[in-house]
Amino acid sequence: MKKHGQVVKYSKTALKDIAVSGLMIATIEAAKAALGFLPNIELTSFLLIMYALIFGVKTLYAVPGFILIEGAVYGFQLWWIMYLYTWPLLVVFTLLFKKRTSVWFWCFFSGIFGLCFGALCAVPYFFAGWAGESLRGGIYAAFTWWVAGIPWDIIHCVGNFTVMLLLFVPVKAVLKRCYAYIYL
Amino acid sequence: MKDNKNKTLKMVLAVVILAALIGALVLIYKNFSPKPTAGAKSVTIEVVDDQADTTSYEVNTDAEYLRQVMEETDGLTFSGAESEYGMMVDTVNGIRADYNENGAYWSFYLNDDYCNYGIDTQPVADGDHFSIVYTRAE
Repeated sequence: MKKHGQVVKYSKTALKDIAVSGLMIATIEAAKAALGFLPNIELTSFLLIMYALIFGVKTLYAVPGFILIEGAVYGFQLWWIMYLYTWPLLVVFTLLFKKRTSVWFWCFFSGIFGLCFGALCAVPYFFAGWAGESLRGGIYAAFTWWVAGIPWDIIHCVGNFTVMLLLFVPVKAVLKRCYAYIYL
Repeated sequence: MKDNKNKTLKMVLAVVILAALIGALVLIYKNFSPKPTAGAKSVTIEVVDDQADTTSYEVNTDAEYLRQVMEETDGLTFSGAESEYGMMVDTVNGIRADYNENGAYWSFYLNDDYCNYGIDTQPVADGDHFSIVYTRAE
């Protein structure tokens, strides 16, 4: 590629990373659209965890792209601010526990993420309430918002746990083969 | 053999801890989620339309949730898509606010605070003041 008269060479690995990121985003978006009719049952958490386990830090390249597409499709509203930190956090925590191999650990991990999703998403309400009223107002706004969504967090938790339990072993095997095919 | 025992233990631990956490959240929800009050209540609903014109409605009702109150309110019409979260209101008094069409939506406020619930699950208490405001996305 030419840049200011110079030839800039991208390594094969960098090009592969870009292509893999695109595939990650595409599969997440497709899964999201396919399961959109089920309330709080989603494959985004599952896929991000699996990608982080197999592709490691490279998954972090895909996350901003995914978040940007979500905003472009559904509008850049308050929920989009929540996406800015919840999904990267999920990938970072997955990378921290990357050495764990037990399916039960990942079921637990994914379930906990589902359970905490509402609490994580309540953070902007805390700041909005704090800015608009007072610290107490911020705590109240975040707490009531979180409590209102608890039934959905429980569904999210059970859904994440079940999806991980059913798909962890087969999807891990497929992704390992993909990784070997692309990078080795 | 020992490996199998370990696996079972991990499985049981994972399920038990998650079940305990779910139980704790259910308790928090039961204790802290707002409860509707039964009996005659006086409720005000104020609609602020796309021209910033305000129409107020005074309603006496036994309804427990906002949707029922809105349905009982003479002169107030509304419609929207039914979803798993209840009705997502897009039209009030014939004025349509669709984010995809005109970048606008109907905001619901209870006593000047943004409603945390959909109209199907928003509890109603005596003296409540609801505002339904045509809002343009910034």
